[in-house]
Amino acid sequence: MATPDLRHPDRTAADRPLPAAKPSGQKTPGRTFPRESLVAGVKAAVGIIGLFMVWELLVLVIDPADYLFVGPLSAFAELFERPGYFAENTFVTLQEALAGFALGTALGVLCGAALHYSATARSFLYPALIAIDTIPKVALAPLFIVWFGFGFESKAFVAMAIAFFPLVINTYDGLSSVPHELQELARINRASPWKKMVKIDFIYAIPSIFSGAKISISLAVGGAVVGEFIAGSKGLGYVILLANSQVDLPSMFAAFIVLAAIALTLFFLVDYAGRKLAPWKNHTK
Amino acid sequence: MNNEYAISVNNVGKTYRSRRGQENTVLRGLDFHVEPGRFVSIVGQSGSGKTTLLKTISGLQEPTEGEILVQGRPIQEGIEDIAMVFQSPVLLPWRNNLDNVLLPLEFRGARTDEARAYAMELLEMVGLGGKAKNYSYELSGGMQQRVAICRALVSRPKLLLMDEPFGALDAMTRDSMNFEIQRIWQNTGCSVLFVTHSIPEAVWLGDRVVVVGDRPGRIIADIPIDLPRPRGKEHRYSADFSDYTSEIESHIGVVAGIS
Repeated sequence: MATPDLRHPDRTAADRPLPAAKPSGQKTPGRTFPRESLVAGVKAAVGIIGLFMVWELLVLVIDPADYLFVGPLSAFAELFERPGYFAENTFVTLQEALAGFALGTALGVLCGAALHYSATARSFLYPALIAIDTIPKVALAPLFIVWFGFGFESKAFVAMAIAFFPLVINTYDGLSSVPHELQELARINRASPWKKMVKIDFIYAIPSIFSGAKISISLAVGGAVVGEFIAGSKGLGYVILLANSQVDLPSMFAAFIVLAAIALTLFFLVDYAGRKLAPWKNHTK
Repeated sequence: MNNEYAISVNNVGKTYRSRRGQENTVLRGLDFHVEPGRFVSIVGQSGSGKTTLLKTISGLQEPTEGEILVQGRPIQEGIEDIAMVFQSPVLLPWRNNLDNVLLPLEFRGARTDEARAYAMELLEMVGLGGKAKNYSYELSGGMQQRVAICRALVSRPKLLLMDEPFGALDAMTRDSMNFEIQRIWQNTGCSVLFVTHSIPEAVWLGDRVVVVGDRPGRIIADIPIDLPRPRGKEHRYSADFSDYTSEIESHIGVVAGIS
């Protein structure tokens, strides 16, 4: 059988150029995906470099005092001058954010599932969750410091508190969007609740859960930084505070760049994992 | 008991009660029987409760009046040999066609090598033997619905319920699916309850056409279709055929314009 042409399922083998007529090195139509993602990556890089150039140009034109605003060149210079200092503090923030994200994701998915499967949980828990959600999570940071101390835990819990809600909502939404025909199919065939959950519901909800995770991962980084602002002697939040007290703007901007780079990388990692786990999403009409 | 019937619908009614206590009767006094191996079309305007009737027969909903017996047993007991085909195929996009067909058996914990072979046989019967490892997004709407029909047949049901299965397909695909379902039904020998709002489709496929009137849904006619089997395209243009369709149209009260 001919290999299916993934991007053009309606095309038969006869519509494709004959392999013999194809110059060597040219990609077959079905295998151009890596090249497409390469092009997208190059475009994204050009966009980011462009942003840096506009920023540097702005600094050149306005020529602000260097205790007010600095360009990316001095920020990068600062980064390369003290690589150990930034690496160490980046690692601290990264750990806090990832621990908070992992915990928030686990709890969020559990809560979302509870809301979907239990009418009792829905009527008691849902209003309470929404009420808690209206409190700015950043405002909880001092409380977490009272509870968990000045170390790693309090920052991870701030990150968790922020990462939690998008996952509750998206897990609940994803599970609730399973077509009713599939529910009926499961009932007619006397599927156990467990089988229905693992064979249909949760797989169906994967794209939605990952949409929530993509929001949460960036929020978790922000949560860790806020925790470090309030009480910390390590991490990028602390780097920013210290730079603030010393009016060291290159250091501050270097921290901003690292934070953005972390958030961007983590976001794309989550996005990639979501695509790998739910490859059908791009094909669902 | 009437064990000789595949389904007995005895004076079935269904009334929904809203929270304010208002009653909405969807079905009233339905009474009909289906002999084993028969193809019965149910036709009626949309909103006449045809889907509710099918869901009640499948056990997904309970009637508020009367009883439904499947092979002489009340449906509440848990009949395992009913299958349903919906208007949309709703295949799982992460499973290939063969695995989609096998899903009901996985639910029942009965996915065996023998079942797998039978699923392949079914896919071959509907002309999709070569697409067993393909995914639904690679198939046309008609092909997807054929996979959904295989999924319904894989549990070897004695009773197949079809809820406007070809309603979402274009006219040409729909015609070819009608031929297909006639062939499948004759191969498997199961009883079929086929809900549609296309009168020609109902007449061409059915041994009988049950006409359901709306608000509330009730049987207004039960017409045996005496056309030879297997039916071909020529039957659509016969005088008998158009007599049947116009008789049903007069019951439903439509003039024209229904395909």
